Amino acid sequence: MSSIEERISALIDANLEIEGRAAGQSLNLDRNVAEDGADSANIVAFWQLVCEEFGVDISAEEFAELLTPRDLIAHLEAATG
Amino acid sequence: MLSGLVGDWWRPLWTHDDVTVIHVDLACDTVNEQRAWVRLDATERQRADRFRNGAARRRFLLCRSALRSILCRSFPCQNRQLVLGAAEHGKPFATVDGTCAALGFNVSHSGRHGLIALVPEGRVGVDVEERVAVRNLDVLVGAVLGPNERSEVTARSGARKLHLFLDLWTMKEALSKAHGKGLSMDVSAFEISSSMRHGSRRGAFSFPDRPDVVWRLHNIGTEQFAAAVAHTRGAGDGD
Repeated sequence: MSSIEERISALIDANLEIEGRAAGQSLNLDRNVAEDGADSANIVAFWQLVCEEFGVDISAEEFAELLTPRDLIAHLEAATG
Repeated sequence: MLSGLVGDWWRPLWTHDDVTVIHVDLACDTVNEQRAWVRLDATERQRADRFRNGAARRRFLLCRSALRSILCRSFPCQNRQLVLGAAEHGKPFATVDGTCAALGFNVSHSGRHGLIALVPEGRVGVDVEERVAVRNLDVLVGAVLGPNERSEVTARSGARKLHLFLDLWTMKEALSKAHGKGLSMDVSAFEISSSMRHGSRRGAFSFPDRPDVVWRLHNIGTEQFAAAVAHTRGAGDGD
């Protein structure tokens, strides 16, 4: 099974336009997607798709603090343990 | 006041009572980008350099430089006296010589359109979305709309569905940005009034947990973009 990082990377490739990053390129885990050019509508859709993909419930308030891939992966590792 | 708010790539778009919204043209223009660069402080230049390609860098440069020019004329102050920061959840604020400025402002951009909203006091939020196809539209409809809004949007199709969604989304975003919570607010927990969902361009709004605080909401969209601005009249209204 793919790792959480690989699944997050695939979701980002399919749903977020990160400035200067082509789909499939390695992900910078410490860059905030909101500061990297992703707009708020795409971030909200990404939040929903992450919840669906991992079967978790993350509030809007929580997700707003998980905008780097590293933070999001750590949260999902803890939540799906 | 409005005559002072015209610049090389920005000009007033809309005004009502004491609220002004300025449109910033974010089209590619290397001369304007060079002009914008010189107005930024060292921290802002570092931030601009972190963008890895041109579009995000250009949007940041042109909007931030226009904002600096507009705020300097409005306060008034010199560019070197002005420092722009961001509060929790990213809402911007300004200090002049270290003192927090009373004037409220907010910024949004989408595609080649930037908007800057200003109020002399109180809180303001603005949002703009270019009227282009939205990826994951149905996911968003399910995530950010309330039940009545959702049924009205899903009853439509094609461009009519997209435009109603963008109108509602920008109104909700303007309210959440004015409130100060931005992305961390669950905007599906409240609905835009029926009159504004059906075409009224302005209305009043209160969040469910603070019915005593009244926000003024305006749909200021055009054929090119959906846009909305929300504000309170007094400094304490939105607290």
